[in-house]
Amino acid sequence: MVFLGGQVLPGNVGRAILGPLADQRAVDALNHSLGLDRPLLVQYWDWITNFIQGDMGMSYIFRAPVAPFVIDALGNSMKLALVAFVLVVPLGILGGIVAALNVNRPIDRIISLGGLSATVLPEFVTGIIFILIFGVWLDWLPIAAAWPANAGFFTQVYYLILPAMPLFLVLFGYIARMARSGMIDALDSDYTRTAVLKGLPWRTVIWRHVLRNALLPTITVIATQTGYLIGGLVVVETLFRYQGIGSLIFTAARGKDFPILEAGILTIGIVYSVATLVADILYSVLNPRIRLGTEQ
Amino acid sequence: MKNYKILDILRRGRTDLENHLIDGLVDGRVSRREFIRHGSLLGLSLPFLGSAGFAAGFGGMPSLARAQGTPGATIRVASSVPTAAIEPVSVADAGGLLMLQQVGEFLCLDGPDLVLKPMLAESWKPNDKGDVWTFTLRKGVKFHSGAEMKADDVVASIDRLADPANSSNALSVFTGYLQKGATKKVDDYTVEFHLDAPNGNFPYMVSSDNYNAIIIPADYKGDFEKNFNATGPFKLEKYTPKVGASFVRNDDYWGEKALPDRTEFTFFGDIQPMILALQGRQVDVINQLPVLAGVGLLNDPNVEIISLKSVAHHQVHMRTDMDPFKDPRVRRAIALSIDRNKLQKGLMRGRASLGNDSPFAPAYPSTDTSVAQRQQDLTQAKQLMEAAGAGKGFKVTLTTERYLEIPEYAVLIQNAVKEIGIDLELTILDQGAYYGDAVFGKSNWLDSVMGITDYGHRGVPNVYLSAPLKSEGTWNSAHFKNRDYDQLASSYIAALDLEAQKQTAGKIQRLLLEETPIIFGYFFDYLTATAKGVTGVQPTAMSQNYLDRASKA
Repeated sequence: MVFLGGQVLPGNVGRAILGPLADQRAVDALNHSLGLDRPLLVQYWDWITNFIQGDMGMSYIFRAPVAPFVIDALGNSMKLALVAFVLVVPLGILGGIVAALNVNRPIDRIISLGGLSATVLPEFVTGIIFILIFGVWLDWLPIAAAWPANAGFFTQVYYLILPAMPLFLVLFGYIARMARSGMIDALDSDYTRTAVLKGLPWRTVIWRHVLRNALLPTITVIATQTGYLIGGLVVVETLFRYQGIGSLIFTAARGKDFPILEAGILTIGIVYSVATLVADILYSVLNPRIRLGTEQ
Repeated sequence: MKNYKILDILRRGRTDLENHLIDGLVDGRVSRREFIRHGSLLGLSLPFLGSAGFAAGFGGMPSLARAQGTPGATIRVASSVPTAAIEPVSVADAGGLLMLQQVGEFLCLDGPDLVLKPMLAESWKPNDKGDVWTFTLRKGVKFHSGAEMKADDVVASIDRLADPANSSNALSVFTGYLQKGATKKVDDYTVEFHLDAPNGNFPYMVSSDNYNAIIIPADYKGDFEKNFNATGPFKLEKYTPKVGASFVRNDDYWGEKALPDRTEFTFFGDIQPMILALQGRQVDVINQLPVLAGVGLLNDPNVEIISLKSVAHHQVHMRTDMDPFKDPRVRRAIALSIDRNKLQKGLMRGRASLGNDSPFAPAYPSTDTSVAQRQQDLTQAKQLMEAAGAGKGFKVTLTTERYLEIPEYAVLIQNAVKEIGIDLELTILDQGAYYGDAVFGKSNWLDSVMGITDYGHRGVPNVYLSAPLKSEGTWNSAHFKNRDYDQLASSYIAALDLEAQKQTAGKIQRLLLEETPIIFGYFFDYLTATAKGVTGVQPTAMSQNYLDRASKA
């Protein structure tokens, strides 16, 4: 589908590379050298057979093998996603728990309303504000997320804090609301009332009975955000000059670099599938009813 | 006071054409600026031009000496991402050509003042007809690999660009003038270019104006990105596609050694992060700063703006073969409805020169300045609309690209033409959709009834005069077909003599004002931003940037 979708886009690869003002003969020569004047089926067959054998092909615009571009970009995206997750998941869940335990009190309103408001702010707005505050005025954090060569783990994390901040704002409200809603349902449930009435300490009730049930929907939400965090950060990657897979695919789409586009989209598809599978497994680990249902 | 004795000495051994230029300077037909620029085009050296100017009573040449900065700096530049591989034959974008120029050199350099200066060629001269140009190469120039640059390398480099089989981006420059095989080695240090047709501005075609034309080894195998092997004052340290590049001083350079130890280029996908990086002191230079996007930096006390007069512009074409623009009076009416002073001062924040509906920008010495500047005149515009039978106005679509300040320009035109009853509907597309396949019948750019298109800087107007305006021009989006114009454009391009160029330019300017197939509203300046304390940065309006004299306080 990606291959066919690329073919119906207006313009052609040679023109995209050489620009609108290039001589048509030069464009034709470039298309010929890239094998783009061959029948579509032949191009598709070549691509799919090579891909199955692990050869992602050569980039049209960079004239280099595709695999290193996709692997590097995927690695970068996963690092940024990980930093964002480490920041937002515990804080989002904590925010949801605090809000649920203080329903309709000011702290609940602040978390719910503040989180929701932050979610609707576009990343390019919050990103610029964070850059101005922490990068330009306070000079605490590097503006570009490109760490020096041979940088260690902590240096890389240091460079990723600023781009992770707008992602934190986008996801915090979402995760906190899901956690809050799950918590409120669990707190209202019969098993919580039973646990309280049989005299269990409040902390044990929360940890063993409420949280375990309340977080199930939140886990699904977190899993579905993995795809966004890995493949959907074009704006953040552009703003912070980060070489993630989102911006790689965007560049490839603009330049009609189909080998990178196809490999990038397939890679994100695989990431989505794996994230969903992991979520399913986690769900079954946390929810014995699913496991028991399967066994029966 | 004129010193005829010195002038006589200087004239000895000069061609008729060169002496005619000196005569023009002496009797006042040619200004000193025009003399220097046209003299450099004919291959006269700057010391010679300075001496002739002095003898003709104009005082000495402006000193080219620049303050010597502190050596040893690392200059950090923010640049747009090269959109494709760094390949001298096919590079076609600002980020890519900036990379080529960091290591590569041309036969001659089209400087910020549009004066040609020797680079890898020491001198050049045309034959009487202007269809054979002979270039004498500099001796002792070495490629970074250590081999000496000779005529074979020049012939191979230029032939590679002139070969239609090579997907060369320079084909659009050479077509009709220089074919593969027409660049001939005379000896190791002399090369002749045998042109298909006379061309008075040919040296610009092998200068930095033609950004693909860096000289690389004759045995080049198409693997430029491996080592960026060329002749310039910097050598490649590291290049990472989409990320950046760094260069170090070339200690074997033939000329004055570069001041900086290193230069670092960081690629950005958008202008906003570049601005933030400059403000956050993470880069020292923004190579190209669009006026509207960079308006916040124009008055920033921590930032210096280098502003170069350029002839980059946005052409507003109107289909001359299609209603409602078949009648030239309607086209003139639209041109008269636009307030160019507002465009210059408001839209471009004063960083532009007025256009007069022809490619002859004020920066070109051949521009006939006696042609009156077109100004807004709504009364005349309405009269023209009435006379053309379009007094009640009409509705038409303007299609354009989302690039720089073009969308804002389109809105200003929309408001302007409302005054004469025209309802302009705007269709603003991304660049890929606007240009399409860039051939007639498959391109919004070439097929739309009215549109706005970006054109980059050129040291001479030859390309602007041909492709968008000649009857058979490949970029003729106005579908303008006028035999008189075609002949005038051809004779302008062929003319070797500045006065002949000026005379023809005047005729072209008047014809285009009458016909107005394209509105040239303004020519915008090329801006580069540097952090305060950074000196010696020398950009060109082609997006190149010479950093060999750069330093930091």
